Amino acid sequence: MAKSNPPFMSGVPELLLLRLLDNREMYGYELVRSIKEVTGEAISLGEGVIYPVLHSLERNGSLKARRKPVGGRTRVYYSLTKQGRGRLQDLQDDWRRIQGGIETALESPGHA
Amino acid sequence: MHEPDFHDLATRLVQSGIAARHAHRAANEIRDHYDDLVDAAVNDGAPSREARRQAARELGKIDDLVSEMSARRELKAWAYRYPRAALVVYPLACLAALPAAPVYAGIANAPLLARWGASLLAASLFTAGLLLVLQLSILFG
Repeated sequence: MAKSNPPFMSGVPELLLLRLLDNREMYGYELVRSIKEVTGEAISLGEGVIYPVLHSLERNGSLKARRKPVGGRTRVYYSLTKQGRGRLQDLQDDWRRIQGGIETALESPGHA
Repeated sequence: MHEPDFHDLATRLVQSGIAARHAHRAANEIRDHYDDLVDAAVNDGAPSREARRQAARELGKIDDLVSEMSARRELKAWAYRYPRAALVVYPLACLAALPAAPVYAGIANAPLLARWGASLLAASLFTAGLLLVLQLSILFG
């Protein structure tokens, strides 16, 4: 990939994709551009990496895909399912819990 | 950097056990993504060759895409997820399909078979007619 994600980024692409697709249906290229935009380019995924994630999310029922002809090309648009909304809620809760824990750890005096 | 070989990507995904529908669709999506990257670079003023090079760099290596995808068990074909079951089910399915194969071939080639049957019938009628004429000429000739 153009840029590799560090190991602690595990699960982040999934969360971002679900969050973006909660607003409207999008195709892969659009999603990568949107991730760059909404994260202020702080998170730049390897562009090809999102397709395995999208296919996995579709496979587990979080997303549904449909083909749509646009400008001479057939795009595959992804949208969130009801199950996907539940998954997004769980991931958001997990993320906020971890974020809170890390912030507390960073703000507390060192124990080392 | 060479232009990515998207046909090769689909083949490699299938060879690594990814279900065919995911492999072909992912390869098509990635090819479209590459085209979008090229278009964006060209719109930004890059010459065509540089735009393709830049798009390939942003997309990433095909090897990485294959390993990223094949690491996901849920995307694997049924036979790769349950190899022991496949060892039993596939031979049984083939055995069951064997008697149906000629019937299927007949249905698939129905127009050809109909023409062949009609030709055979016409040839038989013609031969029978000739024999009848011969017989009559012997009897009343």
